[in-house]
Amino acid sequence: MPAGRPGPAAQSARRPPPPLPLLLLCVLGAPRAESGAHTAVISPQDPTLLIGSSLQATCSVHGDPPGTTAEGLYWTLNGRRLAPELSRVLNASTLALALANLNGSRQQSGDNLVCHARDGSILAGSCLYVGLPPEKPFNISCWSKNMKDLTCRWTPGAHGETFLHTNYSLKYKLRWYGQDNTCEEYHTVGPHSCHIPKDLALFTPYEIWVEATNRLGSARSDVLTLDILDVVTTDPPPDVHVSRVGGLEDQLSVRWVSPPALKDFLFQAKYQIRYRVEDSVDWKVVDDVSNQTSCRLAGLKPGTVYFVQVRCNPFGIYGSKKAGIWSEWSHPTAASTPRSERPGPGGGACEPRGGEPSSGPVRRELKQFLGWLKKHAYCSNLSFRLYDQWRAWMQKTHKTRNQHRTRGSCPRADGARREVLPDKL
Amino acid sequence: MPSARGEQGSEGLEAGVWVPATPGSGKGAARAGESRALVSEDPQADSSISPLPHLEAKIHQTHSLARLLTKYAEQLLQEYVQHQGDPFGLPGFSPPRLPVAGLSAPAPGHAGLPAAERLQLDAGALSALPPLLDVVRRHQAELNPRALRLLRRLEDAARQARALGAAVEAVLAALGAETRGPRPEPAVAAAAAAAAATDAGVFPAKVLGLRVCGLYREWVSRTEGDLGQLVPGGPA
Repeated sequence: MPAGRPGPAAQSARRPPPPLPLLLLCVLGAPRAESGAHTAVISPQDPTLLIGSSLQATCSVHGDPPGTTAEGLYWTLNGRRLAPELSRVLNASTLALALANLNGSRQQSGDNLVCHARDGSILAGSCLYVGLPPEKPFNISCWSKNMKDLTCRWTPGAHGETFLHTNYSLKYKLRWYGQDNTCEEYHTVGPHSCHIPKDLALFTPYEIWVEATNRLGSARSDVLTLDILDVVTTDPPPDVHVSRVGGLEDQLSVRWVSPPALKDFLFQAKYQIRYRVEDSVDWKVVDDVSNQTSCRLAGLKPGTVYFVQVRCNPFGIYGSKKAGIWSEWSHPTAASTPRSERPGPGGGACEPRGGEPSSGPVRRELKQFLGWLKKHAYCSNLSFRLYDQWRAWMQKTHKTRNQHRTRGSCPRADGARREVLPDKL
Repeated sequence: MPSARGEQGSEGLEAGVWVPATPGSGKGAARAGESRALVSEDPQADSSISPLPHLEAKIHQTHSLARLLTKYAEQLLQEYVQHQGDPFGLPGFSPPRLPVAGLSAPAPGHAGLPAAERLQLDAGALSALPPLLDVVRRHQAELNPRALRLLRRLEDAARQARALGAAVEAVLAALGAETRGPRPEPAVAAAAAAAAATDAGVFPAKVLGLRVCGLYREWVSRTEGDLGQLVPGGPA
């Protein structure tokens, strides 16, 4: 086991303990009024040490009568008595302690090393700070809500476990000019995050980095360079409405409004829809909604409750070429498809309202067919609206046929009538 | 008289804010006699308006406040020892009970003193506690910066001690007893002491905080007991 004194780096990194009001406390070294006049001083006082290092400490007793013996004194660390073989009497009034291969501090306020008299009373104490210097923070990511602020998040090096209080400071500056600034609102979206609420410039890059400091040293992350316009996010689309499409059993119509804070800038915005069956945890995502504010979900199961959410990516804001950052999902909105006897297909696609063709294969082919018909036939009134009406009629007639099959009676082969129970309502 | 507010946990108690009186026990005014004896008789007072119910209500409310703060003081002490690490908080942990300048524990003979004198000592201790609690909070902000609940409890305790002290002074004034009167601001003395700080170490800082939190609990509990003896129907 290594044995030695704390390294000079550890000692030089030691922070002075907080000052104590002189009048408020008699230092543990002054005469005690209650149980004799023995006091002591521990050295070193409040050392800072690397994990795995060693410590040699002394407890020097001052007392009345002079020459009070160190015999009978003992040490505790965090309330546990230390083995006698770790201690030795240096002289009549001094008890020494040797600890090796120290573990990280149990609490951030320091491990409590205490020197006790023979009767167990406390003579003196010292707090040990045993830990690691911080490692370089990494994985900084930032986003701006509606171009008004900047929030950044990072990962502490070594997963943050230094056993010492480690202070993280987010710094930023304009790349080409300006002074370093320090973020002040910490822990806004987690323990390693900071929020810059105002006074941010657009169309010019910022440099951002994180500095970590504790009693044993400091570390600095790599610098992240970004333009606010390239990391913009926004609010979820408000006013999401989901409704049935007439009597169509496998479709729902979804409508929403552009996020108001950026509504004048969202002509290139992208939207995404996700939906799931009520009692399922699996979401299906419709990715290709472009910059519309309405969409039709098709291929749904009839008679089923669906939860639907929408989110927005303010892509291309102020000409930014970067991908933009998706907003949070809107609050779930629920709606149910009409009931049907025939189970619907499980797939989903987004069909825009108003007859605009989507990229679904069936409708693409139908569009081509309708286009050909208009050129070569005399059906000038054909449109998607007419197609939807046809589908609704088909489903209705299919339901009617099923009702005739299952209600009333049907003749048996031997001529007797057989009653069939009606459908469940 | 400040309006009453509901109990809000350890936050929100300002000087002059009163906790509503707990539901009356319906007991007779067994202790009302002592309250009446302490009320100074003002010959100028309108004999048709008796100040006694007002005084009893004030005592009752202050007693309720003291009872609530006794509970908070216990929680503060538990929270404090938890963040200092063992042996703080272990059974039998007994650091030296060193004197704290400007404040000592209630004397053994405190309970035998006249009511007004006891309340005066209570008020004096409660006025000395806030700057001491502020010092402890500053130390803990250095030692335990992530212990936000502890830091908040220490801040609240200073405010609550001021509130209770002011309430006790108001009871004393209503009883016609002498109040503390103008004294040098305790915070000035504490600030001056902090400016002349010595490098005493972290362990003594932890012990100081334990001592101050303990004194806060003792004096709030003592105040509750002293007021309880004045509440109608309270213990003799």
